[in-house]
Amino acid sequence: MSSRILPEFDLLVPQSIPEAVEMLGKHQTKAAVMAGGTDLLVLMKAGLQSEYVLSLSEVPGLDYVIYDPQDGLRVGAMATLSQVAENADVKKYYPALWQSACVNGTPQTRNKATVVGNILRASPAGDCCVAALALGGKVVLQGAAGKREVDIDNFWVAYRTTARQAFEFAVEYKIPAKVGKSAFIRMTRVDQDLAKLNAAVCLNMAGNICQGARLAVGCVAPTTVRVQKAEELVKGKEINESVLNEVAAAVGAEVTPIDDVRSSAWYRKEVSGVLVKRTIEKACA
Amino acid sequence: MKTRSITLYVNGEAYSLNVAVNRTLLQVLREDLGMPETKYGCGTGECGACTVVVDGGKSILACLTLAATMDGAKITTAAGLEKDGKLNPIQEAFISEHAVQCGYCTPGMVMKSVSILAKNPKPTEEEIRRELEGNICRCTGYVKIVQAIQKASEVMASTR
Repeated sequence: MSSRILPEFDLLVPQSIPEAVEMLGKHQTKAAVMAGGTDLLVLMKAGLQSEYVLSLSEVPGLDYVIYDPQDGLRVGAMATLSQVAENADVKKYYPALWQSACVNGTPQTRNKATVVGNILRASPAGDCCVAALALGGKVVLQGAAGKREVDIDNFWVAYRTTARQAFEFAVEYKIPAKVGKSAFIRMTRVDQDLAKLNAAVCLNMAGNICQGARLAVGCVAPTTVRVQKAEELVKGKEINESVLNEVAAAVGAEVTPIDDVRSSAWYRKEVSGVLVKRTIEKACA
Repeated sequence: MKTRSITLYVNGEAYSLNVAVNRTLLQVLREDLGMPETKYGCGTGECGACTVVVDGGKSILACLTLAATMDGAKITTAAGLEKDGKLNPIQEAFISEHAVQCGYCTPGMVMKSVSILAKNPKPTEEEIRRELEGNICRCTGYVKIVQAIQKASEVMASTR
């Protein structure tokens, strides 16, 4: 275990999606899938052992960020955070995702790290995770039998555990068009640190009335979570100070944070509601 | 595979290598190619000391890159910036603005500066500071580093 030297493994470098599917089908849990590697290689230096590393670096055609006014946004498995941060359509139509991609990691890691990789890592602190949960959408998984789509709401099943089967790899994350107004905010100890708290919201507004909301919070449970009681408080209401204060007061009761190196359970419970309130204000601004 | 034959283009020179697949680009540059200008800082993507530039403008961390996945890549390190014995304007500015203290972060800072100015030849101070977020200088000489990048930007604009 060393931050200098990686443990030994066998490298697989498929040249096409079918080849990647075949290799993953053969090795399943023995293979760790690598996109940008900024997270996996750190984990491996910290002691994670994997017999195989399957790199997607030479599979062509996975590094797309495509927006269509009818079909929405599609982010390929190899699309980096930088690509998303530089995409004008993401900035305009999915500001929560754009804002999360702009601050996740550092400029250098953003040039390699991927949005899909951040979602697959299933960390409750993932900045793109909380944005994705607020925006909705689906993760597209591909195995030998074909593709299937999993709602982002059902994708994280436990701490660092996803609905992905060992023989599948995630090819895409997609979000519908016209999801509504969205925003993301995170709190860190210093700028490039992992979040101690993060939140993202997406509001379906009809004039001043909120017809429906997805309010997501990170770092407060084993996975990124939606605060659905708070969502009910804004539904059908005008977004005003008194509604926002109700939301701020309600969020803390819905979350189950822990103490860790970045913050305390008490602080997270106290502050998460205020963060959600401010994120709603940011989305509506 | 446990090893892979690759070609790396480092500072314009082609190198045909057979690398162990678990070796990072940083190890291959420093230990196999004997190019120690790219520094090992933290090894976990926190400090930016190992920053190199790929394909003329994209900054990446050599410590979190497997060399075996970089077949055919064009890599620039700090030692590849001088031309015909003359330092690059960014290197000149780091000297003239006294942006070097202990010097350990300097190659990473200089390579990050190359990528900043390749993307945005006239960055504001705010933009420079945001882009330098992933490069740590423990002498805390950031003010001089920011000034050096501004100076290099001016010099490069006037000679373009």
